Amino acid sequence: MTTDRVDSADSGRPLTSGQRAALDLVLNLMLPPSADGRMPGAAEVGVPAYLFAEAPDALPLLRQELEELDRHSRERFAREFAETEEYEAKSLIEEMRAREPSFMSRLSMETLACYYQHDRVLEGLGLEARPPYPKGYQVVQGDLSLLEPVRARGKIYRDAP
Amino acid sequence: MTTDVDVLIIGAGASGAALAWSLAETRMRILCLEQGDWMNPADYPSTRRDWEVRMDREFSPNPNIRRRPEDYPINDDDSPISVVNFNGVGGSTILYAAHFPRPHPSDFRVRSLDGVADDWPMDYATLEPFYALNDRQMGVAGLAGDPACPPHQPPLPPVPLGLAGETMARGFNALGWHWWPSDIAIATRDYEGRAACVNLGPCKAGCAQGAKSSTDITYWPIARRAGVQLRTRCRVREILVDDKDMATGVVYYDERGVEHRQRAEVVVLACNGVGTPRLLLNSRSARFPDGLANRSGLVGRNLMIHPWGMVRGAFDAPLDSYRGPLSCCILSQQFYETDRSRGFVRGYNMQITRGLGPVATARMGVARGDIPWGEGHHEAFARRYGRSMGIGICCEDLPEECNRVTLDPTLTDSNGIPAPKITYRLSENTERMLRHGLERGTEVMKAAGAWDVYAEGPVRQTGWHLLGTARMGDDPERSVVNGWGRSHDVRNLFIVDGSVFVTSGGVNPTPTIQAVALYVADAMKQRLANLFD
Repeated sequence: MTTDRVDSADSGRPLTSGQRAALDLVLNLMLPPSADGRMPGAAEVGVPAYLFAEAPDALPLLRQELEELDRHSRERFAREFAETEEYEAKSLIEEMRAREPSFMSRLSMETLACYYQHDRVLEGLGLEARPPYPKGYQVVQGDLSLLEPVRARGKIYRDAP
Repeated sequence: MTTDVDVLIIGAGASGAALAWSLAETRMRILCLEQGDWMNPADYPSTRRDWEVRMDREFSPNPNIRRRPEDYPINDDDSPISVVNFNGVGGSTILYAAHFPRPHPSDFRVRSLDGVADDWPMDYATLEPFYALNDRQMGVAGLAGDPACPPHQPPLPPVPLGLAGETMARGFNALGWHWWPSDIAIATRDYEGRAACVNLGPCKAGCAQGAKSSTDITYWPIARRAGVQLRTRCRVREILVDDKDMATGVVYYDERGVEHRQRAEVVVLACNGVGTPRLLLNSRSARFPDGLANRSGLVGRNLMIHPWGMVRGAFDAPLDSYRGPLSCCILSQQFYETDRSRGFVRGYNMQITRGLGPVATARMGVARGDIPWGEGHHEAFARRYGRSMGIGICCEDLPEECNRVTLDPTLTDSNGIPAPKITYRLSENTERMLRHGLERGTEVMKAAGAWDVYAEGPVRQTGWHLLGTARMGDDPERSVVNGWGRSHDVRNLFIVDGSVFVTSGGVNPTPTIQAVALYVADAMKQRLANLFD
């Protein structure tokens, strides 16, 4: 079986090509590209590299979950998960999450972190792909005349002996 | 070899910094030992693209998650609320939201007015000059004239309401409830050498701009220029006493784990409401077998932590709610004072927090099932991101001896010093108060126009306000320190952090912690000739 090392910062075993293919399928089911093309799918933003670099402790569980998907897929569809049709893969994941709600939830949280920090995603949201510092943001001051009724009602704290 | 000092302060956070600055004018030899280090603002998360993730890791407020070398673990298994803090020069002001509301006069007269708990040995009027002094030294923004609070003039203009604050203000007005731009310790214009706030957003991960008033950039630079020594990465193991019940100094470990002894004429504890009782309980001796200064048996007891509720609402209109100081733009004290018809005594503060960043919005939405996987994800995300905000419900909890800090029998820090264990539960009064707050928060969120609202509490990672574990009082049997912070049992030992609170009020305590520290420092200066009498 060929392997596909996804990141030089890998602190664990690399994912196999089969696991990579299964992961890509899961990622695109989790976060598909938007219909208008503005938002990429999760499989396009480098989630595996992110996992190896930023969340290597999530990998053992991920491998185990991908193996579970493969096992159930072989039982149900007589082929590996990565080779299933999209609707088959979707129904399988939904069933497994219905049985065990935490199934792939760690992957989900890490994927969201990777996805919503990616330049293409931020630009798709109409945001500047930059850290908050040093530029910061403009915030409208707001209308302090809204305080008039509060002032008009007067003091509401108690005096104390 | 260490040189003797006149005053040894343990802890360089909110209270230790204020006291050090105030005492500096005496020209005494003052040394502060701090277990953490100086922070480099260039390292704060907001300087990097991955700021949201870093806030949850190395800048997590929970020391059990953060696990920096200078952190000590805290066993919080027996509490629905985790203790959160920061260890470094500036202490928890590095990560605090800088929300700076003042308490009410009634907060110091809880027994007299409401028949519960105890009155403080001093009143609001006595502390008022120290609040004002602290506001100037820290740099506090706000708007004078709040009818829910005694008159005072914050030195800086308020933080912007933003679209989020303005929207909530209209909701409060629709119900005829109080609201006001909150006092907040942020430089809203250039102030004392610090640059003005540029609305970075993640104040609770350290302020790279230096606009948020953490004590490493407010009190400490002035105190050090005035001669106060600050030694970092020094973790105190125990306070030593002689056979006359006087503190003689401390034993501490430096960064390399080497043990040192530091002698001092006066020892001041400023380690917060968990760190201070931990150190006292770790300072056992033949004369103090139950922990130093603990002849009352109250060291570690009466822990108050401000159970926190959170109401979140999503709106149709864009609120730009991820922009601007995160913590609070407006507050409401409509339900702050006691009204027994509500089914509880005392009250709570409602504070409007802005929205979340994209990662937190997505994670929370998916975890709650509001934002689905797959088809519909992008649309659901767009309906919430930048269009959501929160209301924090800060509940006053009353002192109860069963809520306490003890020493864990097995857990230790990296120097082998026993770690604290928290035992805490919400009283029935607090449960009712929290429920009321969540209901009222939901009501005002809807009045402001939210199309989706959810409420939860107590929220676990919110134990910032660590109070009451070495309480003040005139009676040595019912308190640990006297009305000006001196231990009843050890006459050259002082405590100035949140441990000394008699009751907790319902507002963020840092202004009061610092006002009390300045008050104690003032009392010490006035009594220098007979400080130990």
